[in-house]
Amino acid sequence: MAENATLTTLHADALTEATDAAMRAIPPAWPLASNVAVNPFLGQTGDGLAQAGARLRRVAGIRVTMPRSWYAGRIASGAIADEDLAAALACAPPDLRPKDVPALKEAAMRPAPEPEALPTVADLAARVSGIDWPALIAERIGAWAAGYFDEGQALWAAPRGKGAYAAWRAYATHDLTPEVAGLSGFAAHVADAPEDARAAIARAVARLGLRGAALASYFHRMLVTLGGWAQYARYRLWQAELAGGSDDVLVGLLAVRLVWEEALHGRHGDEIGARWEEVRAGYAAPVAPTNDLVVDAILQEAAERAAQRELATLLAAPSPVPAAGRPALQAAFCIDVRSEVFRRALEAADPGIQTLGFAGFFGLPVAHRRFASDVEERRLPVLLEPRISTRAGGPGDDAADRAARIAARAKRAWGRFKLAAVSSFAFVEATGPVYAAKLVRDGLGLRAAGAADDPAPRFDPTLDVDARTGVAETVLRAMSLTENFARLVLLAGHGAGVVNNPHAGALQCGACGGRSGEVNARLLAVLLNDRDVRSGLASRGIDVPEDTLFLGALHDTTTDAVTIYAADHPSPAHAADLERARARLDAAGKAARAERALRLPRAAGGRGVASRSRDWAEVRPEWALAGCNAFIAAPRGRTAGRSLEGRAFLHDYDWRRDEGFGTLELIMTAPVVVASWISLQYYGSTVAPEVFGSGDKLLHNVTGGIGVVEGNGGLLRAGLPWQSVHDGERLVHEPLRLSVCIEAPRAAMVEVLARHDGVRALFDNRWLHLFALDDEGRMAWRYAGGLEWTPVEARVECEPQLETAG
Amino acid sequence: MIHLLPLIAPAALAAASVVAFLSPGPRPRFAVRSAEIMALLALAASVLSVVVLADRGAGTGPTVGFGDIGLAARVDAVSVTMLSLVSFVGWVVLRYAATYLDGETRQGAFTGWLCATLASVLLLVSAGTLVQFVAAWIATSLCLHRLLLFHPDRIAAQRAARKKFVTARIGDVALVAAAILLAVGFGTGDLAEILEAARAGAVPAAAPWAAGLLAVAALLKSAQFPTHGWLTEVMETPTPVSALLHAGVINAGGFLLIRFADVMLLAPGVLAALVGIGGFTALFGGLVMLTQPTVKTSLAWSTVAQMGFMILQCGLALFPLALLHIVAHSLYKAHAFLASGGAVEGVAAIRRPGPVAVPGGGAIARAFVLALAIYGAVGAAFGFESKSPQAVALGAILIFGVAYLLAQGLADAAPRPLTRRTALLSVAAATAYFALQTGAERLTAGTLPATPAPGPLEWALIVLAVITFGFVAAAQSAFPLWAHHPAAAGLRVHLSNGLYANALFDRVLGGWSVRRPS
Repeated sequence: MAENATLTTLHADALTEATDAAMRAIPPAWPLASNVAVNPFLGQTGDGLAQAGARLRRVAGIRVTMPRSWYAGRIASGAIADEDLAAALACAPPDLRPKDVPALKEAAMRPAPEPEALPTVADLAARVSGIDWPALIAERIGAWAAGYFDEGQALWAAPRGKGAYAAWRAYATHDLTPEVAGLSGFAAHVADAPEDARAAIARAVARLGLRGAALASYFHRMLVTLGGWAQYARYRLWQAELAGGSDDVLVGLLAVRLVWEEALHGRHGDEIGARWEEVRAGYAAPVAPTNDLVVDAILQEAAERAAQRELATLLAAPSPVPAAGRPALQAAFCIDVRSEVFRRALEAADPGIQTLGFAGFFGLPVAHRRFASDVEERRLPVLLEPRISTRAGGPGDDAADRAARIAARAKRAWGRFKLAAVSSFAFVEATGPVYAAKLVRDGLGLRAAGAADDPAPRFDPTLDVDARTGVAETVLRAMSLTENFARLVLLAGHGAGVVNNPHAGALQCGACGGRSGEVNARLLAVLLNDRDVRSGLASRGIDVPEDTLFLGALHDTTTDAVTIYAADHPSPAHAADLERARARLDAAGKAARAERALRLPRAAGGRGVASRSRDWAEVRPEWALAGCNAFIAAPRGRTAGRSLEGRAFLHDYDWRRDEGFGTLELIMTAPVVVASWISLQYYGSTVAPEVFGSGDKLLHNVTGGIGVVEGNGGLLRAGLPWQSVHDGERLVHEPLRLSVCIEAPRAAMVEVLARHDGVRALFDNRWLHLFALDDEGRMAWRYAGGLEWTPVEARVECEPQLETAG
Repeated sequence: MIHLLPLIAPAALAAASVVAFLSPGPRPRFAVRSAEIMALLALAASVLSVVVLADRGAGTGPTVGFGDIGLAARVDAVSVTMLSLVSFVGWVVLRYAATYLDGETRQGAFTGWLCATLASVLLLVSAGTLVQFVAAWIATSLCLHRLLLFHPDRIAAQRAARKKFVTARIGDVALVAAAILLAVGFGTGDLAEILEAARAGAVPAAAPWAAGLLAVAALLKSAQFPTHGWLTEVMETPTPVSALLHAGVINAGGFLLIRFADVMLLAPGVLAALVGIGGFTALFGGLVMLTQPTVKTSLAWSTVAQMGFMILQCGLALFPLALLHIVAHSLYKAHAFLASGGAVEGVAAIRRPGPVAVPGGGAIARAFVLALAIYGAVGAAFGFESKSPQAVALGAILIFGVAYLLAQGLADAAPRPLTRRTALLSVAAATAYFALQTGAERLTAGTLPATPAPGPLEWALIVLAVITFGFVAAAQSAFPLWAHHPAAAGLRVHLSNGLYANALFDRVLGGWSVRRPS
């Protein structure tokens, strides 16, 4: 007996461990209202590309690199040079790589084998029964999950307050669809299943004959078959853990999927027995890269090295001499790659203008309530918890707040009238003809999206002077903006004014939690114009001149128009400065639109770029961050005066003013990680759109207000739509992992990496490349992993491995 | 000769279709531009037809073809209304698709089929002959089939299209049989002549059979229970197709009943069946819609319900109201589909102003009394005495819906200004409804038959309809009080799955069978 109990406990531990491992292998997917980019390889960053490729091939049937023909084309065109291939080859595992560059080139000409996932019981049952069980399971789980996760689309919501597995059991014991489709007794099977999710998992595993090493891999496979539903549940877990709690929704989903497997195994176990045994062995086998996967990874790295050579040439060009004296205008923008185009245009419009790059939430971790709203919006990077509460409008706006709420509630009552049974008939007969006018209005794009015009944000509850001064000081130091202030300093957040776009959040500011950035920008302006804060700053060594005015602004990345929130801080003395700033911003907007028009379809000559924001049929209002491939943290002088083509995140950073390298640590652990999530989301949505992309915008069907399904229903789809990385004829995003270039002492960077294992893994396993810029801004050193650096000039950097191979 | 004018509309879009098929590939700039221009030309021809109707009166243009076998445009209140509606929605959809599909590898072909479908629908609604009607009816369905399979590799698209195909072919058989019975029975293929003879009482024995077959065709076309399954599954194709389908094509069934109203009146039993099936589908679809968390699917169920309501109106012989319903619903639904990308923002906006005030039993009772008072007042202003009992009953059903709006404002927790606003909205809705209804009756007087005085069967149906709709409306108003009761959980599951009618259809057609590579 005792021995049995010990075995049971051991088994339970193994199950918990495998469940946990599988859950952490799934990337989270945020709801579309706060849609932020997520690294789809989040659970794989402990491995390199080839190893991750081997795992994802097994559990998801995808490749993690481009087809070989893509690389072959670049080799043939000369974009990837022999030196790139040689260098990438030298760094690959010796026992699996081609013997030399000609062999690698030859391999590039052969198509890689098609990836295939290990089958599930449902896959095997489909083969013997002729019924498409995997599709039916996806459809059924989708039908239930859409209701369970619904945030308010259905008037008759699914029952609340139960865990995912309990809610599903209540649903599935009533649902007759599986039995109509041919799985008789399914509802009874569900009713007999254990009431607890983990017990259900344990029973299913026992009946399927799975144990040990097979578990984690098989669970991972199960969760992948749930697509975006598992990712959304993973998001719930992420949020719960960020707040110090936990969440069982994802465990519940795993149990649901396993109950299906168990039912199909019960029905078809005899017919699939032998094959299932082989498959089980497949799940238990260790994950290991094949020669082909290693070749793919080498080619990918070679493509990245080719891009890095170009970048190095660009950065090696001599820097323009920065204008001396007080700038006419300072304008801070988000590090977002879209800012690079605009900043360059603005600097070109007037050499007296100085621009800065900083994370678009301006260092303010804000939970904000909009005007007349009870809903708290997290306007900060999703890696952080909010530490400041704000709301729009002060006590003077109370009457307007009440009126706005009544109007919104009447509109909501009207909306329910529109959708309810019986009343929807009255609605249609009474108001249908009004929609003729709406069709004309929207068809002709007569309604502009416009920038948000809530009253200025304020702290709620208020912060004392010390706290406010502390926040202001931290932000200014992190921006490396502590002296030489202009008369007018614009703090420009960014957003995208678009209509009728479920993925609008993906176009907004990622650092502001997938929302537009004007709230944080305006809040910082409020803070820095505060007289008490100014005097506090002076005592802490930051002298802001009396005549400096800070103003929040919003850069609309779709139209390249900049809205300045001048009414927040009326200052007649700055009228002329403001007028000049507006003129320069207009000129810069025009130039930026003209440059962007070259990449956008149907936008020849720059006309029609702005009208995309009003077009309800537009699936490519802008390219957002497509094409991003570099992150540069250095003084602006290192990048000014040359075109980075809207592909680089630019973070102002001057290590000479960073005592103790606190800012360096912040940059490497926050903006760099956020940028890696963005870059790898684009990467994943490009190389594996079927799993890491959200599919075809033409078929998108918004579900529950949280996500999209493609077509009728089934799996939730997270990631970027295909239209966001492809213009119909070619890819607009080249899937290259980000090159992070930082002008700072190598030893300081190594120290940061040594302290942060998660960040170090990103660089060691090459999900990011790290370069140290020298004192002239040239890419001098490449981080080689293991806290080692190699000079960039060196031809072959992984000499020791090459010798072992040779 | 001037009565040939409506044929310009389908001809323009047919021409646009040919142009588009000449460049089937991606970014066919010329084709999409000419499609929009041709749609505007069709719209102009439709509007001019209205002018012709006002100026010259109703009539049928000369037949283009051989004797009775040919095309002839009908100009009357029904056809010019439908022409204007379809060409307007067609223009909006084509303009939308031109941008929406930019970059698709088969955008030209898509535009071609879209134009061809529109041309067929325009040909249908302007039909003056049986031959034109039947040919356009079948052509619409076949062209639409190509649009539903725009992504031919999508298994779910194949599944939906196959259901649609089977349903449509059965409907085609019914329609062809009905057309033959009518042509033989009345001795002519001219629609106006058939309708005139039917109204005059010169009725062949086969007429009720023809009416029955027409009803079958109409029910299958308008996705009535239990053959609704395909309609709720055709989101497998780009959004503009859904908009066109739900705003243009799906109306063909209702249009058929309205067009042949005089024939339908010859078969009271058939009309009674329409009341039963339409009424059930309306309530069924409306309840299922409440449970749908996915925006386009919810809209599709809404269409099922709305089409049911329209069929109910036809069954009650309220043809002008059915026509009004088609127009109003089409405009609303076209917009709703094309703007469905706003659902993320829409759902987010619901929660911002705070919790919903839930009306209690007393508030609901007050709301119903108040709604009936509004009905009485507004109805008296428009004149009850000119209305048929059927129309009065229908007005009552709709006012039950208005009661739901009132109840939300009368909830105890609702602030006063909100109560005022919802009351104002209710009065506005009731007034707009009566105004539109009166307008529809006036405009179609003479074209569509008057509603006959109800017999015992009709009275029974009227009472049944008012009671069931009243019950559902009351249940809807009291919704938050019972919907989350555990006893309702099972009902919710069954309803959310559409009572499995579609699952059975899938089973019969082998919808979930594994596709063998062909």
